Amino acid sequence: MFMNNFEYFAPKTPGEAFELVGRLGKKAKILAGGTDLVILMKDKIVSPECLIDITNIEEFEGIKYEPGKGMVIGATTKNSEVQYSEIVKEKYYALAYAAGEIGSSQVRHMGTIGGNSCNASPSGETPTPLVALGAKVIVSSAAGDREMPLEDFITGVRRIDLKEGEILTKFVLPEPAPKSASRYAYMGARDANEIDCVNMAVNIELEADNQTVKSVRLVMGSVFVRPLVSAAVPALLNGKKFSDELVEKAAEAAQGEAKPITDIRASEEYRHTIVGVLARRLLKEAFAAAQEV
Amino acid sequence: MKQLISLEINGHEYDVPVSPRDVLADVIRKKVGLTGTKKGCGMGDCGACTVLVEDKPVLSCITLAITCNGKKVTTVEGLTLPDGQLNPLQAAFVNHGAIQCGFCTPGMLMSASGLLKRTPKPTLYDIKHEMSGNICRCTGFKRIIGAIELASEAMSKGVK
Repeated sequence: MFMNNFEYFAPKTPGEAFELVGRLGKKAKILAGGTDLVILMKDKIVSPECLIDITNIEEFEGIKYEPGKGMVIGATTKNSEVQYSEIVKEKYYALAYAAGEIGSSQVRHMGTIGGNSCNASPSGETPTPLVALGAKVIVSSAAGDREMPLEDFITGVRRIDLKEGEILTKFVLPEPAPKSASRYAYMGARDANEIDCVNMAVNIELEADNQTVKSVRLVMGSVFVRPLVSAAVPALLNGKKFSDELVEKAAEAAQGEAKPITDIRASEEYRHTIVGVLARRLLKEAFAAAQEV
Repeated sequence: MKQLISLEINGHEYDVPVSPRDVLADVIRKKVGLTGTKKGCGMGDCGACTVLVEDKPVLSCITLAITCNGKKVTTVEGLTLPDGQLNPLQAAFVNHGAIQCGFCTPGMLMSASGLLKRTPKPTLYDIKHEMSGNICRCTGFKRIIGAIELASEAMSKGVK
């Protein structure tokens, strides 16, 4: 229950932060909300010599939306801000909903959207909708920025493509297509304060006829080492008129792609079944929502 | 090495020497001496340690005190009105029988305060959703939810 002693740094500017992260290297961990890191430190799973608190840096925080261009979300933006943001709800519904289903109210007020991705737990809530929405991450250091799709940034269980001296600073979301909608769903042992055994997000775009799928993106969480982008579902649905039969086939295809494991939260078999349930539900919900746009 | 941090707790300034690893719950209880805030699980699961930092509910058992340097903290002791009377939320908990053993109560009150600050008229769903990080092992959730509804009503009628 007691953490190791460590040195604490609270840089105020990006420059100071990059200098510290570069200089301290592996000795330091980056602290944002702490809802994962402090627990790991209390459990003595990690015992860093230094913590670099990046939550006092204005440039790394906040939600900015520009019509036609899309949204930039700073990595240290609290999950509760994403949950409550009217513009996130309007433009990227799946993300606002997923952010609101993380842990508890307190955890959402502490934890950050960047931390949720950097923790890289397969059952993390926000990476799934972010990937479905086509989010890119900006990884910054004293040397400059790198940009990559979030699904490439998360490389495995608790593994991310963050090199020494780098900090995840931003998420960049493209402007949603005109006739599109996104939805998110999850399954867990109970509704409150739980960790998902499967989560999923669907982002669907329709043609002007309101029936034909122009493009669809279905992303599964907690059934692979990182967010799993379905290749089979778009192959089945893109360019086709939406129908219950197609949804059935798409759900089966998603089940075929998922590679769940058995752990304390659910069995492989159960997760496999739930992938089908959530895929059916979400494709229908997202389709209906896109028709209303 | 200890560092001096400044916390504004319930309107009073406290300068406290802390180690970087000291969590806010321990600093509030042991160094400042306000023992209303309870430490339950110590791992951010139960919500007993909930306090408001800058009016937002946070888990003080997994918050490093040093990260709160210069910030405003509200604990259960800070809810009481200046004349010593219970505030409408506290009064509703008492009058509605929302307290059994009382250990979860400070955390419940702080989470509910955070909720009512953001959403003065919460729906039943809002209350259940935003209070789900506070666990009562006497199983008294129904009356806690009822008390928050009563407090919301009272506050909307201007009861202070």
